[in-house]
Amino acid sequence: MIEVTDLTVRFGGVTSLDGMSLTFEQGTCGLIGPNGAGKTTFFNVLSGFVRPAAGTVRAFGEDLLSIVHFRRARWGVRRTFQTEQSIEELSVFDNVAMIHEHSRLAGGSRRGDVLGAISFVGLDADPDARVRTLGAGQRRLVEVARAVVGRPKLVLLDEPAAGLPDEETEHLSEVIRRIPEHTGALTILVDHDMSLVSACCETTAVLDFGKLIASGPTAEVLRDERVIRAYLGTAEVL
Amino acid sequence: MLDTASSTAAARQHSPLHRPGTRTLVRTGVIALLLLFALLALPQLLSLYYIDTMTQVAVYCVVALGLGVLVGRVGLVSLGQAAVLAIGAWVAARLLFATTQPYPLVLLEAGVITMAAGTLIGLPALRLRGLYLALITLMLAGAITVVLATTNFPNGGHGFLGYNGSSVHIPAIRRPGIAASDPAYFRYSVVVAALMFLLVFAHIRTRPGRAWAAIRQSEPAALAAGINTTLYKLWAFALASFVTGVAGGVLAGAVHYLYSIDFPTQDSITLLAVVLMGGAYSLWGAIVAALLLQLLPALLNNWGVSADWLTILFGLGVLQVLTTAPAGLADQVPRDLARLGRLLRRRVRRGRPRRPARSGGGTG
Amino acid sequence: MPSWQDFQPFIVSGLALGGVYALSGVGTVVLYQATGVLYLAFGAVGAMGALIAWSLIHAGTPEWVAWLVCVAFGGAVTLAYGMVFGPPLARRGPLVKAVATLGLTLVLFGAMDLLWTANGGESRAITLPTDNGGFMVGQVQVNWTQVIALCAGIALVVVTGVFLRYTKLGTAMRAMANDREITATLGVPVRRVEAAAWLGCGLIAGLAGLLLADLVALDATTLTFLVISSLAAALIARLRSIALTFVAAIAVGLIHDLLTPIQSLSNYRDMTPFVLAAAALLVLSRHRVISLSREDA
Repeated sequence: MIEVTDLTVRFGGVTSLDGMSLTFEQGTCGLIGPNGAGKTTFFNVLSGFVRPAAGTVRAFGEDLLSIVHFRRARWGVRRTFQTEQSIEELSVFDNVAMIHEHSRLAGGSRRGDVLGAISFVGLDADPDARVRTLGAGQRRLVEVARAVVGRPKLVLLDEPAAGLPDEETEHLSEVIRRIPEHTGALTILVDHDMSLVSACCETTAVLDFGKLIASGPTAEVLRDERVIRAYLGTAEVL
Repeated sequence: MLDTASSTAAARQHSPLHRPGTRTLVRTGVIALLLLFALLALPQLLSLYYIDTMTQVAVYCVVALGLGVLVGRVGLVSLGQAAVLAIGAWVAARLLFATTQPYPLVLLEAGVITMAAGTLIGLPALRLRGLYLALITLMLAGAITVVLATTNFPNGGHGFLGYNGSSVHIPAIRRPGIAASDPAYFRYSVVVAALMFLLVFAHIRTRPGRAWAAIRQSEPAALAAGINTTLYKLWAFALASFVTGVAGGVLAGAVHYLYSIDFPTQDSITLLAVVLMGGAYSLWGAIVAALLLQLLPALLNNWGVSADWLTILFGLGVLQVLTTAPAGLADQVPRDLARLGRLLRRRVRRGRPRRPARSGGGTG
Repeated sequence: MPSWQDFQPFIVSGLALGGVYALSGVGTVVLYQATGVLYLAFGAVGAMGALIAWSLIHAGTPEWVAWLVCVAFGGAVTLAYGMVFGPPLARRGPLVKAVATLGLTLVLFGAMDLLWTANGGESRAITLPTDNGGFMVGQVQVNWTQVIALCAGIALVVVTGVFLRYTKLGTAMRAMANDREITATLGVPVRRVEAAAWLGCGLIAGLAGLLLADLVALDATTLTFLVISSLAAALIARLRSIALTFVAAIAVGLIHDLLTPIQSLSNYRDMTPFVLAAAALLVLSRHRVISLSREDA
């Protein structure tokens, strides 16, 4: 469980997050909102790249913000980025193993854990293949594998389906749905694809201009008038 | 695709890491052959003039290697490696005059002390990125150059600086007993260079190399993966400084006499130029860089052409590399070499590796 | 410790030097703001211009023609570089753009060594007629060149400030410093504005080269790397404020020259710009936020 209390982030004159208070229970939670709403900023606070002006984040009973950024992975935070960040020159195996090795998990189980993560996401590529030889969809799967390997506590997925064709988004959706049961981690999914969000997330929160404007069961939230208005008259939400 | 069949297939497909494929064997064979050629054949074939030149090439291979690690692997541009080389040479000269320690020990000490100095330079530098990092290395190197101009290189004198301004007879910096002659010293320098390459290679193939690749690609992603980027960046500085320091020690023995005008600020810039031209990423690029930097001028000198043409060439080379590089400063092999490599590989393998376009970042 | 009297002449020379550093610094900052390029070839361009002027004077050309050629050369080479290498590198980070100018520096450096060989014998010098006239301030001799150097620095700062604030072209440059893409969509002729910035910076480089050749030495290496002193001033001003660049430049010039009479430090005075610039960079980095965009390179 993640408890966010009064989180405020300011960059110069812009307030990216404005007193955001929210509790993420378990399973997969969606986080949506128009561009600039503060979703990625929130992720950056969780990753430790941005220091909030105010507010606290308690994750599984611990003060997340007091952990140094590069140690959060060891603690159990995993993240994918909007622009995929798998390392091209390394193999699939090395990319996933890197997370494992820097999380200081037992070296003995490494191979099994890594291969398990690769097969979990359903990546049908040679683990020794260089990531630069893979297609966009496959690279996304490598990123998700990096996010689920080992024993993550919190998995942050930032627009994992961006730019992917329907078929691959379907597959990704399937994988994301199985993350909580496979890893026991709390997963937060940020995306603009509403069908993906409603397929994967039991609950969803909505940000607009850094403020929380709705949260609750996904289907209800997506019908909420305030949410529809925030997306500037997007008639089709589902 | 989520079935168990593919997972066992993947497990079977995935060979134990480090089983050498044919490609690796061929490459090792080529390297071994080249080394043997350099050690045994070259000294017989070349005149003393060119043996001296090739010793310089061996030295600067290592310097280029260090800079290549920084620029090509981690993505940190240092404009101060010539100053680091000077520090290494200074330390080695001082120790060689002041003590009777065996040569390998002196080289090691020069490497370690230079490593400490280089890491100290790296510390403040790490808070800066990109351009500012390059500038601060340029500034610190410039400051060191000025200090060196005043303190001079050791020449057998006493005191900490070991410099005697009024000596009439300046002793030569000694060489190891087994490698006193020029051809023998050339072999010695090749062996030392090979060891340095091995050291760097070992780094690249293991955890630090992978961490550097992650950092170069994206520092936030590396941090999110649990990599202590500050530590690994310092490590890169330490490694680059160590090998450059050792190279400085070899240089001291090669030239016998060191003068501060031998290490002008401009050298750091030319060094970056040839490293970019040779390819900052690949280890072979370091050798190409050293050949450009030391062999070409020697050839030109021999033919009566001014070496200034090379300075112009290097300047144009920098411009060419930068304007045609596909992505970052660090991760490119010069277009022509890359094209050649792809051509050769296509003969061996079918199909070309795809390069999907990157999408720009959005806002959240 | 030297006496006040010993320092006096160095205050004058330091101010003059600072004036030229201010010239170079302002030129560098304006170009950086307009194009994102840190023009490290500034010194080399000025040096070559000065050498060309020297050769022309040596060959009998009237002095004022030679000086004009020097300034024009700076402008021409810089403009040419900007037009040829600006566009292909426009989207790259500031590091790549700066390293590219190092390429230009090497080309010019090699050309200078080739065309004006430094083999022993004659050392070259540029003397301006203003070297001879002068006046006394207290007990110190001040020559007109020094006055011109300082005044040129001041004048450029004022003129540039006014230009950037009140003219259409200047406003366009400020807009581009902010965001090139948006400025282009507003209908501002970005290429032309950039060309103006390159040309202006180049002309200043030529002028600075001429003055430094007179005040310091006509030597390719010295002049090429003196750019670092003005770079220090620009860095202290965070590559942004013209006024601060001026103040910093004067400070760098003064400190450098004032160290001359101090026996123990004199030999190290050439470290001044390096040390000051390094310090400026470190202070600059205090509030660093992790860059969330792809590597600057």
